[in-house]
Amino acid sequence: MPEIHKELPAINASNRPYWEAARRHELVMYGCCCGALYSHVTECTACGKPDMKWVRVSGRGEVFTFCVYRQAFHPAWKNDIPYNIAYVKLDEGPILISNIVGCDNKDIYIGMPVEVVFEDITDEVTLPKFRPVR
Amino acid sequence: MSIRDKYAFAGVGLTQLGRLPEMTPDELATRAIKLALEDAGLRPDDVDGYIYQGGIGGGSSDTVPLQMTGVPAAMVWQVTSLGSYANVAVAMAIGAMESGLCNTCILLHASSATSRRSIVPAGAVGNTPGAYGWYGPGTTAACMARRFMHLYGLTREQLGAVALTLREYANKRPEAIMHDRRITMDDYLNARMVIEPLCLYDFCLVNDGAVALIITSAERARNLRKPPVYVMGYGMDHSLRKVGKSPEAIHHFNGFVTEKAAQQAFGMAGITIKDIDVAEFYDAFTIFLLSQIESYGFCGRGEGGAFVAAGNLKPGGQLPANTSGTSLSWGYLMGFTQLTEGIRQMRGEGGECQIKDAEICLVTGLGGMVDNGSAANCCILRR
Repeated sequence: MPEIHKELPAINASNRPYWEAARRHELVMYGCCCGALYSHVTECTACGKPDMKWVRVSGRGEVFTFCVYRQAFHPAWKNDIPYNIAYVKLDEGPILISNIVGCDNKDIYIGMPVEVVFEDITDEVTLPKFRPVR
Repeated sequence: MSIRDKYAFAGVGLTQLGRLPEMTPDELATRAIKLALEDAGLRPDDVDGYIYQGGIGGGSSDTVPLQMTGVPAAMVWQVTSLGSYANVAVAMAIGAMESGLCNTCILLHASSATSRRSIVPAGAVGNTPGAYGWYGPGTTAACMARRFMHLYGLTREQLGAVALTLREYANKRPEAIMHDRRITMDDYLNARMVIEPLCLYDFCLVNDGAVALIITSAERARNLRKPPVYVMGYGMDHSLRKVGKSPEAIHHFNGFVTEKAAQQAFGMAGITIKDIDVAEFYDAFTIFLLSQIESYGFCGRGEGGAFVAAGNLKPGGQLPANTSGTSLSWGYLMGFTQLTEGIRQMRGEGGECQIKDAEICLVTGLGGMVDNGSAANCCILRR
């Protein structure tokens, strides 16, 4: 029976710098002079006067909301049940989908302060995840 | 130039709903089309437009149902397989008829969802949410419910009230998948969690089936078999517009982006929400239904739980809604579930679930629910 692997992120021209930074264990976002931040190249829809570049962000944020999977929707995640999905609101404003690591699911709460950590998945791919700020 | 009341639904053809492994989506589509033509009293060659949507697990092809039914469509369009696209199909059909591209159009949804092999291909490269284990809009719904619990004190009992209300409607509709299955609040509270805090009864059904709806000009509809159901207006918006200004709005965590959709629809219709007698909300999840009640203004933000728990969605309540049991208990045909029931209510075909004297119906759709935004739309029907 062929081994079923977890999926890898969609890395493409619009977001390559994000994933290359993640490999360096840095969190970057594509930012506009108005303060809006995106995880991919785009025209800024917040201010209409785009002046944009990739910038490093602090990696700090808080849990905006979260849920806990108690049923596997993909076979590669069967052994991870129960696992959490969190929407993390970075201090700088944008929201990222990620997992909270380094604590039990029952300890996660909305507003919990978190900081980014980096999980090396393959030689090419590192996933930013978040852990509670100690 | 206003389209209000210029076009009307004249035919409804619905197949059985449930596990139907012997029927392909093309066969389901063909059956639905034949039933709709019969319902309207039309011949295949009376129809010249065809807009079709496939469900989860794939849908029908463009040519096979048309070949099998002999419908000589000059216009064959496919809409994508997302929950908002029933109302989009209405807008497409009316736009086409306004510009003379067709005179009578079939809107079709066919699905063999129970035959699908996997939700996503295993080991595929190129799925960023999937890399974190994010699979499907149930994640967004569960996270939305968690926000509502945190911000507004939403309780599981209130979500359960949504599930129970809709199940009670389905228990009175012979064709509903959950017709024979009653549930109590204890059943709901003790049900297994799927994506916490949402349990089994917070998720819509997964089933096979097809529905074909025939829309044409109001004058033509008035000369056909069934009472016409007029389209008064429709509107749509997409949360992607908000990206940059409001990251949480992309995911509808602050409420669905219904404001512009409602303004357009109610503006076209020339009515307010006070005129709505019955509503069919897109209910892929209990929390989506509840959040839309608030977003459309039927109650204040954070009041949806109490609104539903007080029985307001039931017959005789302030807002009878989802009167077949819809996606949670009747059957999931994306937004066609709500559109079909809206048409039936306006025709007086709701059976034991018919809302007395209902004249105007709101039908909503939501679609997308991934990390890059999704649509909210609605249409308004009247008898």
